[in-house]
Amino acid sequence: MTKTTTLTFLIAGIFTLSTSVLAQQQTESSEQDHAQHDHSGHDMSHDAHDHSGHDMSQDSGAAIDHSQMDHSDHEHDHDVDHSTHDTHAMDHGDMHHHHHMDHDHIMDHEGTMIMGQNLDTLPSSCRSISEEVEITVRAGRKYSAKFPGTAFAFDQQEWRVKPCAKVTFHFMNEDNIRHQFMMHGLPKYLYKYGMFHLEVTGPKTVSGTIIVPGGDDTYLVHCDISHHMEKGMKAQLVVGNGGTDIPGIPGLTPYNINDTYEAENLPTLSDKAEQSKMVRQITQFTNDNLQTYGMMLIGLLLGLFCIPLIRKIPLRRNKENKS
Amino acid sequence: MLNHIFIALLTFFMSTAITAQASLKLPKTVKVDRAALTIEEPCDPIISPAWREAQEIEGVKIAASPGCSPDNPAWIAAAVKGTNNISMDTLMKTGLSPDAIIKTDDLDGDGDPDRIIIKLEIMELNGKSPDFPGLVPTFDIAPGIQPGAWVFAPKTSGMSTENFESVRANPLLRLPSPVIRVEVGDIVQIVLENTHYFPHSIHLHGVDHPFMHGEHGGQDGVPQTSERELMPGERRVYQFQARQPGTMFYHCHVQTHTHLAMGLGGMIVIEENRPNNWLQTLNIGAGQVRHPSVAVKEQYDQEYDLHYHAMDKELGDIIKKYNDPRLIARDMNQRYDATDSTEDYYTLNGLSFPYTLRESLIIVEQDQKIKLRMLNSGGELIAVHTHGHHATITHYDGVEHNPVAQIMRDVFDIAPAQRLDLKLETIDDGKHSYGEGDWLIHDHREKGITTNGMAEGGSMSSIVYKSFLNGSGMPKVSHFGIDLSAYFTKEYYEGRYPIWQDLDEWSSLGSPGEREGLTPAAQTSLIYAFIGLLAGLLIYLIFAKREQIKQGAVATISRLKSPKGSNQ
Ligand SMILES: [Cu+2]
Ligand SMILES: [Cu+2]
Repeated sequence: MTKTTTLTFLIAGIFTLSTSVLAQQQTESSEQDHAQHDHSGHDMSHDAHDHSGHDMSQDSGAAIDHSQMDHSDHEHDHDVDHSTHDTHAMDHGDMHHHHHMDHDHIMDHEGTMIMGQNLDTLPSSCRSISEEVEITVRAGRKYSAKFPGTAFAFDQQEWRVKPCAKVTFHFMNEDNIRHQFMMHGLPKYLYKYGMFHLEVTGPKTVSGTIIVPGGDDTYLVHCDISHHMEKGMKAQLVVGNGGTDIPGIPGLTPYNINDTYEAENLPTLSDKAEQSKMVRQITQFTNDNLQTYGMMLIGLLLGLFCIPLIRKIPLRRNKENKS
Repeated sequence: MLNHIFIALLTFFMSTAITAQASLKLPKTVKVDRAALTIEEPCDPIISPAWREAQEIEGVKIAASPGCSPDNPAWIAAAVKGTNNISMDTLMKTGLSPDAIIKTDDLDGDGDPDRIIIKLEIMELNGKSPDFPGLVPTFDIAPGIQPGAWVFAPKTSGMSTENFESVRANPLLRLPSPVIRVEVGDIVQIVLENTHYFPHSIHLHGVDHPFMHGEHGGQDGVPQTSERELMPGERRVYQFQARQPGTMFYHCHVQTHTHLAMGLGGMIVIEENRPNNWLQTLNIGAGQVRHPSVAVKEQYDQEYDLHYHAMDKELGDIIKKYNDPRLIARDMNQRYDATDSTEDYYTLNGLSFPYTLRESLIIVEQDQKIKLRMLNSGGELIAVHTHGHHATITHYDGVEHNPVAQIMRDVFDIAPAQRLDLKLETIDDGKHSYGEGDWLIHDHREKGITTNGMAEGGSMSSIVYKSFLNGSGMPKVSHFGIDLSAYFTKEYYEGRYPIWQDLDEWSSLGSPGEREGLTPAAQTSLIYAFIGLLAGLLIYLIFAKREQIKQGAVATISRLKSPKGSNQ
């Protein structure tokens, strides 16, 4: 009897202990649940934004030589092509056409905009203009077709010019919405916020000119409308030998942060083939069976038919034997 | 034998003693130091206090808006005159595209323009960036709360963020989609320019609009009945000339179960036709109408647009999780199950408490008549309670209720997509109003005052009398010893601030700290070691006394057998 009591006590002791342990674990796990609440994403460091980070080497010592520039051809040739624009929906009639003009901000009544244009001021790092180039940039949804997982794009993702080049961009927006050609990282003493910006509602073209600095560098070009850059409208202007590549340019550079992809359970043609194969197998099986049963039936009939014949043989023998 | 009992008892009491000893000494209260919180200003510092005053811009009279975050007066001037009829200086203060609101042609010669073109774009808020670990452009509905959302936005000019250094959204890009105001008889074109990466449409719920238009084709906004989805980069015109006034609703009708919940819905008000009726075509951010229509001014002292909405966190999280539009489409169209969804965020005019105090207060004085237009664009019925007041329901879904049969209530049930027009009278008679105060107005479903489960949040705001307003336009509560600053912290909505710690000096309901002495982890491992010891002891006992056990067992068996034997 005493032994059983000992055992009972021991078991009871273990039981109480284990329950308290269990309770402990439960409270711990609920605390963890709390801690796991998703608080991430709120603390973003602005520095991480890839807009910045173009350190401009501005040669402050070098004197800007204005005499070398040809002042004669300073005609602002930011011709805004109204002809292609679909005025169908909105008849502006006799409304005021206000054109906003200050040193570096030009806007017309439809929001076509040229900001940070520079036709004549040489960057301090340049002695003269190295080349004059015209670049046509097309923008639209259709250019995203060759880049899976994007929605908008420019027709090209990279342009190359020489240092100190005078570049005129003809920005052709082929969509029926707004798009922008926005360049960042330009010297701030020449370009407000270091930006050159063309904006237009398509289908329509807007043109603007800049003079790129003398150093090798790579400049971000993008559309800043919410998620246009994120969804493909991103490119780079490479000056000379260029600098660090800009991340996340379709077909050119990888994203900094990638999505995860997994195999999808999508219906396929081979599924259908498999399905019809199964159907065929089932019908074949029945067909086979029909044949088998048919043959059996024939055999049976034959057999039945033959019974009298077979029976006759031994009978005869018996008769023969008897006789 | 006795010593065995002793050992067993000892182990039993030791095990209980561990627990008993711990409960004798409970952990101390840990008080969160206020300095450790990221306390935001009650009023958004980017908004100029000068915007609160009554003023006149471009000949447009703009009523005072004493709350701490009033609308930009330039927005109101542009909305009343049209972006085509204001100076470039005023236009530049709005951030609107010069063709955002075009007003022309006084067709009936009554002194106001009758051709109205409103251009809307579709903007994403708080979406994933492939460039940096964060969201862009950001829009907080409450401190630290950034639900993934889509909105109709007035056509803007320039960047989608405040400026180049910021990831915060341009103030024109916000929840809710803007309130649209036009007049009966106006030839209205709502031009949707789909700047978003998904197909969308506009359905004009309750607005008198033809099912199809000669020039523009089908225009009910429904991809199963009237038109194809409007693809990214495309533009579509929705044209109508409404014959009936009323508070109505516009929303996207493509994959409505997700697109509406994401924020693609707004209020549209058809005002009665009056001479010289220059309307505030857009009320960006809803709330107080600072330039009410002639018809409203005939009967009321003030007008407020109150847009109630609800959002599911899990739905909004999809655009925070993926950048690839195909993955977003897959999760929204093929995987997200609206029947399993729950609403987590309740907003009034795009914001949750305490931000509702910044711009959605109903600021009143005694003996005023205030028109409240209410829309519920959430997925469930709401029940809005006005503390201290009974208001009269004048219109249901834009249609006037028989004036003789109009009723007064203090709880207003509003079904999804439903609109109610209320007449709030601040007559201190114990029925219309119980007198001056800072009276709450809130969705009386308990969850309506929560933000992802955290109270106080949700769509609650106040009907506050001017005498209860402090200098910066917030309700005066400090004289009751109330401090709302804890609500202006993201830590509070992260569930990390014990709000009751401040109710008394010794924080009787503060947060308990960890146990003193042994940590829970050490305690657990100790207990495990103890169990091991017990088990070892048990095995030893069995081994050492195996003979006795054997004998005992034999004896028991024989005892059990013996009765049978004796019977025989
Ligand atoms: Cu774009
Ligand atoms: Cu939609």
